[in-house]
Amino acid sequence: MKKIPKKMPRFSAFSPARLLALGFMALSLCACATKPPASNAVALEAYKEANDPFEPTNRFLFKVDAGLDKVIVRPIIKTYRFAVPEQGRRGVDNFVNNLRTPVTFINDVLQGEISRAGTTLGRFVVNTGVGFFGFFDVGEKWGMEYHGEDFGQTMAVWGVPDGPYIYIPLLGPSTVRDGLGYGVDAFVTDPIAWYTRGSGSMKWVQWADFGLMYVDAKDSAMDPLDELKKSSLDYYAALRSSYRQYRTKEILNGAPPPMEDFDDPN
Amino acid sequence: MTPTDQMPSDLLKTSFSRRAVMRLMTMLGVSAALPGALLSHGAFAQDGKGDAAVFVGNFAQRGINDILAATIPNTEKQKRFRDMFVDYFDLPGIGRFVLTRYFRAASPEEQQKFTQLFEDVVVYTWSRRFSEYNGQTLKVVSQQPDGNDGIIVKSTIVGRTGSSFNVDWRLRKRPEGFKVLDVIVGGVSMAITYRQDYGTVISQTGSFAGLLAQMEKQVEDLKKQQGA
Repeated sequence: MKKIPKKMPRFSAFSPARLLALGFMALSLCACATKPPASNAVALEAYKEANDPFEPTNRFLFKVDAGLDKVIVRPIIKTYRFAVPEQGRRGVDNFVNNLRTPVTFINDVLQGEISRAGTTLGRFVVNTGVGFFGFFDVGEKWGMEYHGEDFGQTMAVWGVPDGPYIYIPLLGPSTVRDGLGYGVDAFVTDPIAWYTRGSGSMKWVQWADFGLMYVDAKDSAMDPLDELKKSSLDYYAALRSSYRQYRTKEILNGAPPPMEDFDDPN
Repeated sequence: MTPTDQMPSDLLKTSFSRRAVMRLMTMLGVSAALPGALLSHGAFAQDGKGDAAVFVGNFAQRGINDILAATIPNTEKQKRFRDMFVDYFDLPGIGRFVLTRYFRAASPEEQQKFTQLFEDVVVYTWSRRFSEYNGQTLKVVSQQPDGNDGIIVKSTIVGRTGSSFNVDWRLRKRPEGFKVLDVIVGGVSMAITYRQDYGTVISQTGSFAGLLAQMEKQVEDLKKQQGA
């Protein structure tokens, strides 16, 4: 029997980065959606709007995700809600937001948003100090409203299109551009990554950071997503549309989206 | 360590980041937000922001006084909400936008049927949440021109704890006055989301009738859940 090499990283099989890489690999092997013929203008327009050439694969991964959600994620979140009162969960949310501030700051600067970068920096100082390591969002009360930035948004500001839609089990909706953006934020813009890099003994910090953030995000997402599921017929399509619209709003920093043609031509 | 082992945390942050996610989800839950919050009234600005702002403010005020905060049975709330929804929203206009060319290609009976089912879908999804209303208020922030003859009224829903999120109302001037064509919660348009949702169903089932059948089933399910 073969001996397992000792060097093998312990958690690598479960690393989200690894999952992401697997996702991309799966996409490269995937079944692709059939482009409608030019004669069917409505279908062609819808195809372009969805920008989801990997749709059959994505739908499969979406189903896988629903299963994992049921058996893994949901029980964790229910336990979390049971164990931690709402006030505490809000503190965790604030704490996680605050940890994320350096990434937002760097991306503010890369987008040339100097005033917003100032707000981000001010929030970090106030919330880390007065807000007890970020558990209390004092900055918001002092008129410095939270906003998040990431490298996917920065690339969008630089003119990079979002590219095809991808659905990653356990993580959720994304696009090729935003997926690459996560990678850049993980390797380049996050100081926690710099600090813990290459240090085996610091690995727990990465996992604690990841765990808190994951649970916080899933806790916030669960109810509204359930609601979207109930109000839609094709939950997959409704989520895809909502995700893209949401990202557009984030990229434009809340500015009005480009005009949609709401005026009936007839 | 291998590159793929690096910092798992940040990989999630864009698609799943905390408050961003909260907002994403608040808005994704268009229907979650609407009854409890959208309809809530509040200190809507009467300060010269124009007819459109007053229209939205009135809608919110009526919603809160007559429905959300009223001590009446849920079936009565549902009925009142249906009347208000039909009165304030441009249902045929929404149908035309959501279904684009499919709507124009459909027979008048099919169009009528769609409008009726869509009304039911909205009434039954929104009314499930009426009981969660907890004193939220709506504040009109500003308004801006939209399209040929439209206006977008921007508002904020403020909860008791001070949490807030943005809701924009896309209005069109019709002969009988303003009508709501779309509600945009946290950047996500209800009409655009339904257009993608329903468009996909039409192409999957291959027909307008296929969409109507699925909507009919959805309405039945929602009714059953509420004992309506």
